Amino acid sequence: MISVKNLEKTFHTQRGDLQVLKGINQEIQKGEKVVVVGPSGSGKSTFLRCLNLLEMPTGGEVWFEGTQINAPGCDVDQLRRKMGMVFQHFNLFPHLSVLKNITLAPVTLKLKSEKEAEDKAMQLLKRIGLQDKANAYPSQLSGGQQQRIAIVRALAMEPDVMLFDEPTSALDPEMVGEVLQVMKELAHEGMTMVVVTHEMNFAREVATRVLFMDEGLVLEEAKPDEFFDHPKNPRLQDFLSKVL
Amino acid sequence: MQTLFASVPLSFFSDLGQQFYDDFILKDRYMYIVQGFANTVVITLVAVIIGIILGTLVALVRITHQNNPKKLRILNKICGLYLTVIRGTPVLVQLMIMVYFIFASGETLLVAMLAFGINSGAYVAEVIRSGIQSVDRGQIEAGRSLGLNSRTTMSKIVLPQAFKNVAPAVFNEFIALLKETSIAGYVGIQDLTKGGDIIRSITYDAFMPLFLVAAIYLVLVILLTMCLSKLERRLHQSDKR
Repeated sequence: MISVKNLEKTFHTQRGDLQVLKGINQEIQKGEKVVVVGPSGSGKSTFLRCLNLLEMPTGGEVWFEGTQINAPGCDVDQLRRKMGMVFQHFNLFPHLSVLKNITLAPVTLKLKSEKEAEDKAMQLLKRIGLQDKANAYPSQLSGGQQQRIAIVRALAMEPDVMLFDEPTSALDPEMVGEVLQVMKELAHEGMTMVVVTHEMNFAREVATRVLFMDEGLVLEEAKPDEFFDHPKNPRLQDFLSKVL
Repeated sequence: MQTLFASVPLSFFSDLGQQFYDDFILKDRYMYIVQGFANTVVITLVAVIIGIILGTLVALVRITHQNNPKKLRILNKICGLYLTVIRGTPVLVQLMIMVYFIFASGETLLVAMLAFGINSGAYVAEVIRSGIQSVDRGQIEAGRSLGLNSRTTMSKIVLPQAFKNVAPAVFNEFIALLKETSIAGYVGIQDLTKGGDIIRSITYDAFMPLFLVAAIYLVLVILLTMCLSKLERRLHQSDKR
């Protein structure tokens, strides 16, 4: 479904070039739940953001459903409709009600009528138990509620894959659970997911494959049991000893 | 009181009624004020609209170019020149050049509206640009990640928030513009200020016409300022917890 070949990303800063991704190769199949872990600055968020071209790779190829999306002339907007993304800081639209947040894209892109989009939105809100917040504004909601709505907003586009960029890192500890719960349900329904997170329990429980990234490379990848119980790479062993 | 008004002859107060009659009632002279008021309001309103449209366009050009230096290079240069010239020269000079040179054969009132609009646009552009820049980058990323193109993201997500952020500043700009139009008399437009001045030149009474003009401006500005705080409260409703 997603195929990444020798992906490189270099940021050009005033202090010189900074190579964040140093050649990553990955195949992500339909239905997989890939969890990416690693120390901060390892490039895992950049890797995720390269998948839907929020960051433009400076080398290599990214393929999605048979199309090379970082080739010139590719209609990125079209492809992003099928790749939902959830951000660390939720990024709900503060000037729109919850309902409008969810229906904006489907209605604007003429994928659904206003009525259809609202029905779908209410149905999704009901699933996460926030249907009574449909007319509230994001600032009236807790972080956990906002993030769940951000997930629903992405789901309203009926994506084929969902990308999560540290979805619980900006949350108060007591709200992490409710967001992870929604993600777990999504995983059980068969959604293809790529998740960058520091939640090791979530990785162990939900992932079909865990990647360890450090200094712009994937140093180890394995099924969760193998990954957490028998890590091979010394840097991963060191990392796990610190976070577990 | 006595020392304060020592130099004012007593007749000043006893003649007030007569002066009022001469200034405003006789030969319907109040019409100078009424017409002037109408002109001032119309010039301001039209200039405001021109200013917002022009300012938004210029801000968009500059932001687009800033985000991608390859885009709109020439248009951005023109906008930069526009901002420099308009903000670097007195509005009165601009008004006179517009009326007496560029549109010498045009209807003076229309040309004045345009001149004030163009002038205001330069200031509004910078305000709106800062408003657009104040919108968090994550908002653009969220919009794009949903498959919206950059134009739709700008119009549906960024601009509404930018306008909201800068509405008070833009509104303030227009309160300033209202007062600035008082120079329109220089090019022969009978605005509120000129109306009062005409009465003064007829009756040789400077006190009443000019103070009335000042009072009208003041009331207008106070009313607009009240609207502004109402607007601010409404705009921030979605921020309330």
